[in-house]
Order: sequence, then structure tokens, then C-alpha cells
Amino acid sequence: MTKLARACAFSVVIAAGILCPRPAQADAQADEYRVKAAFLYKFGGYVEWPDRSFARADSPVAIGVIGADALADELAQIVSGRNVNGRPVLVRKLRAGDPIAGLHVLFIGRVDRGRLAEILAAAKGQALLTVTESEEALELGSMINFVVVENKVRFDVAPPSESDNLRISTRLLGVARKVVSKSS
Amino acid sequence: MLTSVRGWSALVLNALLAAAAATALAAEPQQVADLADLSIEELGNIQVTSVSKHAERLADAPASIFVITGEDIRRSGATRLAEALRLAPNLEVARASASSYAISARGFNNTIDNKLLVLIDGRTVYTPLFSGVFWDAQDVMLEDVERIEVISGPGAALWGANAVNGVINVITRRSPDTQGGYAYARSGSLERGYGARYGGTFGESGSYRVYGRSFDIFNTSTANGATASDGWSKGQVGFRTDWGTAANGFTLQGDAYRGSLDQVNLVVDQNTHSSGNNLLGRWNRDLAEWGQLQIQSYFDHTERDIPGNFAEHLNIFDIEFQHGLRPIGAHRLSWGGGYRHGDDHVTNSAVLAFLPADRRLRWSNVFAQDEIALEHNLRLTLGAKFESNYYTGTEPLPSARLAWKPDPQRLVWGAVSRAVRAPSRIDRDLFIPARPATAMTPATPGLDGGPDFVSEVVKVFEVGYRAEASPQATYSISVFHNIYDRLRSVEPVSATSIVLGNKMEGTGDGLEAWGSYQAARNWRLSAGAFFLKQRLRPKPDSADSNVSAAGNDPAHQWLLRSSFDLPDRTELDIGVRRVGALPNPGVPAYTAADIRIAWLLQHGLELSIVFIDSGHVESGNPATASEMASGAYAKLKWNF
Repeated sequence: MTKLARACAFSVVIAAGILCPRPAQADAQADEYRVKAAFLYKFGGYVEWPDRSFARADSPVAIGVIGADALADELAQIVSGRNVNGRPVLVRKLRAGDPIAGLHVLFIGRVDRGRLAEILAAAKGQALLTVTESEEALELGSMINFVVVENKVRFDVAPPSESDNLRISTRLLGVARKVVSKSS
Repeated sequence: MLTSVRGWSALVLNALLAAAAATALAAEPQQVADLADLSIEELGNIQVTSVSKHAERLADAPASIFVITGEDIRRSGATRLAEALRLAPNLEVARASASSYAISARGFNNTIDNKLLVLIDGRTVYTPLFSGVFWDAQDVMLEDVERIEVISGPGAALWGANAVNGVINVITRRSPDTQGGYAYARSGSLERGYGARYGGTFGESGSYRVYGRSFDIFNTSTANGATASDGWSKGQVGFRTDWGTAANGFTLQGDAYRGSLDQVNLVVDQNTHSSGNNLLGRWNRDLAEWGQLQIQSYFDHTERDIPGNFAEHLNIFDIEFQHGLRPIGAHRLSWGGGYRHGDDHVTNSAVLAFLPADRRLRWSNVFAQDEIALEHNLRLTLGAKFESNYYTGTEPLPSARLAWKPDPQRLVWGAVSRAVRAPSRIDRDLFIPARPATAMTPATPGLDGGPDFVSEVVKVFEVGYRAEASPQATYSISVFHNIYDRLRSVEPVSATSIVLGNKMEGTGDGLEAWGSYQAARNWRLSAGAFFLKQRLRPKPDSADSNVSAAGNDPAHQWLLRSSFDLPDRTELDIGVRRVGALPNPGVPAYTAADIRIAWLLQHGLELSIVFIDSGHVESGNPATASEMASGAYAKLKWNF
């Protein structure tokens, strides 16, 4: 390749990146994690936490994200200037092993199954809405699990039991792809 | 010439920066905000492009991949990149002296190993001088490493020439994930060091970190107790800035370092000096229905002055792009290309010479890959890279990989690939002693690079199996059969002259296995091992009488690690590794162990003590080589 040809090829690539048409409407297409982040923010409106989960009436809803930094980045953009049930929203990127006390929603990305089981076990009974995106996560104790069906993000729900200290609105159950009852 | 390359690269980087800034401002947040305003029912009807599939790929990848996490590194107590690589069961890591290492995968291990491709945040760090890595020069702030992906086996179809027997991908954390600061100091019987990092944010979506580190590694000794006079010290500073998100953003990062290495030299007694600096820009753009685009460019300057031997000044400029398309039917295509330019300037001595002293090297490549979903649980990946190099022109590097996932917990994979190790300067341009002969070295037999030296070739057949036996236990096993041709041989052409040729061939067969087991909530066990049987032989027309010197590999090695969280925020980590005997030069088998105890104290303070039990030669002739001594160090780290 001559220098000129190289320069031309490079210019074309740059130009393609800048000039490529953007989707006309938001509902046409979007990044999977962007949609999941929007869901995660929305879920907060369909969950009832016990009063003792919040220190004060205006304490924020804390959403923790493990193993999905891209989602956390998107979520942070969404929640700035928005609220859930009148409360501000706080997004925290967590590493496996970080404490989960004080969180209200916990999203666990595609971590390995052993770690997932471990995190879900630790979350049990903490009045914490657990959301995952792994096959068979509901069996491991997750409450909401994302699935991508025909390029659309859907979710399955395993409603929390009494001991979880948490309630999910029936309206959310109506939107779920399927609702499974917890074995335990 | 030098200035014009530098000028050109600066120009391109500026253009990239401007383009990234312009587009980053343009659109994204708007769209994210729109999504949050939709109802939950509407959200369920949005078509998505699946980037997380890329993230998922590592677990599903049809290749022998071991991942060292940042947490694994922290709990191992490793102080340098080369030491951290000991955590990978599919790598051979042998320390040859205070500063030098022999690191390879699937055989051919020696300090000038040349069949491994090593990348730090996308920057290729092997030197075109000998296609290997100066491990003392290439290092990172280990505390800020996200993960190290260690792929044993060929990666040429994606990564290009030199990814013959393995790829090491060092990935540091994005700067939004390294906010705040820490400072540490450690001191012990083998080394001491200190360092600090601070991360912050700026503007709407920008973040940064800056770091500095410095260390002294003390002299090692030989078996008879004599000092090897190989102690060394190094200082390094660097930064990373990120704008936007991982999928839609721009990264600019750079490092500068300077090291001084003691050397025992009969001719002169002066330290070896090593220094360098690099600057890398990477731009990621989510093109929605047009897929995902990445453009990356960097400039890398390295210097090494070994008094009495040679001095090298190398400037590398590299630019590449990758474009991943959205799936079209059952097909998922990605393609890309790159150009790399190297200006190598060597100052020769009477001992050895690279001729011509100045060499301008160029590489260019294109690649394409198609991932085909044959069935819902059966994927075929066809890929090829065509890479041209200065010495041998264009080399085709194809690969076919099949992955079958009978259920979510199990993956069976197989692959057939062709990879090459393209000639480096040592293969073609080397003259020992320097020519023309001087009065000092008139008639000693000389070793010369081969004017007709061509690429070494390997054909690789691999199969592997990965499974989650239970939620607590995962394991991976893979076997390979390598068929080598045109390996580097040493051919006597007269009583006084030896020339490098391509007249060695052979096979390498091996097995790699590892697994981890969460024995309790606070106790994790992991183990790994490999077995290797290498059969190398000279071709019929070769006069090479020492083919076993091509690499010095153990027939087997294994390692065990235990990570235990004790009460009162105390961590206990124990590692044991066993390396089989090396044949030529003969090094006895050895077992080494390390223990780390750490206490998380108040106010972000962490105190750790690391004990290393060794006392063995790991590489080289045991009579004269450095023994890696036992020792200990204590480290205090403060997070703020």
C-alpha cells in the first residue's frame, strides 16, 4: 500500500465514524446495557422497601452494580436529576466482595455462577431488590432476571417472599415475561 | 526521519482527539435520557444491539483462556507484572536474574522467547529486535489492573504474527473506576518500593488518574554465594484519562519510565540503562445499527543502552481500527486493519552488531472474522488475518473455531489455526562479532543472522472443555497438538562461521487444566497444571547439533492457591508451585511457596506481610545462574 492509499483509507474510516447516520428515533434501536439501565431505574418505582431501609424521608435509593461497569455508567447518566418515589438515586460501582449493606437495588452482571450464588446468598433478607442477567439466576435466589428475546430486553420475576422484607408491585409482574414462584 | 514520524503521529493523534471531542459532544446522553422517560412496557419493545455479548464472550470463548483478576494480583502479593504472570497455570514463568525473565506458553521458554504476543491496554510491547519482551521495561501499576487475559495457543487470526503460542492481554481499569487515591510503601529483604495514585473527574464526563512508582530490586546470588551484581532500580509515572463510556468514549493514556540495571561486564563496568515513554489514544463509537467501531493509535519510544554490547533507540507508531457489525441473520461479522511503523536505531560495539545499524520496519494488516450460529448452541468462527512484514511480505493467518454449548454450564470447543513468527532483526541483521572483524576479534567463530531467514510456522489443533460442575466449582481442560516447521536453527557454514537458518521442525503436544472451588463463603481454592511433550529435530539438510537449546521447558508444572478470609478483616493467602526439571541446561525440579497475611486496619490502612520460600535456580546453568532467594517484605497501603 502506498502512503497515499493508507492516508485515504484512514480518512475514510474517520469520516465513516463521524458521518454515519444516527438512528432517527430512540425506540428504533439502542445498546442493550442502555435499555437495561433504564429498566433498572424504572424498577425502583414498583418496589416497596420497609421504612427502616432509609435513614430519613429524603435518603437516596442506592443502586449497586457489580460486574457491569458499562451499565453503571449509563445508569449514572439516567439518574442525574431524576428520582424514585421522591428520593434521589445513587449509583455505586461495586467489586465482588465489597459490602452490600445499605443498598436498595443490586444489579449483578455476568459473573461466574459460584460468585453469583455467593452474592445472592449474602443479599438474602437484606430488603434488597436483586437483578441479574444470567441463565438460571432465579433458581440461585435472584428476584428479577433479564433475558434478551429476539433482540428485545425482557425480564422474568421470582417475587420475593416474606423473609425478603420487600414487595414488588403486581403491575411489574404483569409486564414480566414470566413469573416463577420461589421453591424455598 | 525521526522527527517526521513523530510529527506525523502527533498530527494523527490530534486529529483523533478533535474528532472524538466533536462527536462525544454531539449525541449520546440525549438518547439515554429518552429511554428513561419511556414506560416499562415500551422499554420491553426496544430492539437492542448486544454489547454485553462481547463481555460474555470471554466465558464462552473457544480458546484456552485463563483470566488473572486484579483481586487475584492483590492477594498474591506480586510486585511486578512478570511476577503476577506466575498466577496463570498456562504460562511458564522462570526468573533468570534480578531483572530478566523467561516467559512463554506451550514451550520454547528462554529469556529471548519469541512466540508470545504481549499487549498492555492494546499496546504491543514485544520488541522487533528479537520478537520478545524486555520485562524490566514493560510494566504497569499492578493496583490499577482490571484483569490479565492469558490465552495459550495461537491468536494470530485476530492479533497477528507473533501470537504463535500465546497472547497476554493486560487491561487496566478505566479511570472512572480508579477515583480517589492510595499510597503504599514496602520494604523487605529482596526489594523495596513505593508508589501512589490519585484519580479525579473533570468536565461533564471526563475522569483521570495519575500515578508514580519506584522500586529497588536487590542483587541475587549464585549457588556458591557470590553476588550476581544484577540489582536494579526503576521509576515510572503515567496517567490515564477517559471521556464518555466504555462503548462511546475516548481514552488517552501514557507512561514514562527510567531504569538502571547493574551488570557484570568484562569490557566495561557500567550500568545498563533502560527508558521509554508512550502515548496512546483510543476512540470507541457505538454506531447503533452500524455496529461498534474502535480506532486506536499510539506512539512508543524505548531506549536501552548496554555498555560494551549495544544501544538501541526504537520509535514505534501504530494505528489500527476494528469494526464489529450487528448480527445479520446467523452471521456476526467483524473486520479491521492496522499499520505499524518502526524506526530502529542501533549503536553497535565490537562484540556484536545489527547491520544496517538503522532499520525502518513496517507492518500492515487486515483481518475479518465471521461468527456463525449454526444452531442455537453451536457456533462456528472463521477468521483470517493477512499481515505483511518488512522481511517476508504478506503472511496469511487463518483459523477456524467451533463451540458447542450443550447447556449453560458446559462448553466444548475445538480449533484449527495457522500462525507464524515473523523474522525479527536478530534473525536477519545480527553479526557476532561485529563485521568487519577487528583486531580484538579476528578469528573467533562468528554467528550471523541468516540473509534468507523466513517466518517460523506452526499449525495448531486444539480441543477443550469448560464446565461449572456446581455453583461452587468450575474447571477447564484443553489439549493441543502443534506441528512446527521452519523453526530457527543454528547452521555451521564453515569452521569460523555459523548462520541462523530455518532448518528445524517438530511437534509439541500438551495438556492444560485448571479449576477453582469455593470451599466455603470465605475460602477459595484454585489449582492448575500443564504437561508438555516437545519433539524437535533438525531437518535432513541441517547441521544443527543442539536443537534442544531452542527452549528449556519442564515436562510438567502445577500450582495451588488458597485464599482465606479470616475474622477481624484478616486475609490469608497461600500459593505453592512445582516446576519440573529443565533439560538443557539441566535445572532440577523445584517447589516454591509464598504466603501473604493482610490486615485491613482503620482509616483505609492495609498492612500486609509476604513471605517467599524459594532458593532455587529457575533458568540458566545452575552453576552460574542466579538463585531466587527466600525472603519477606512488609507493605503498608493507605487508601484515601
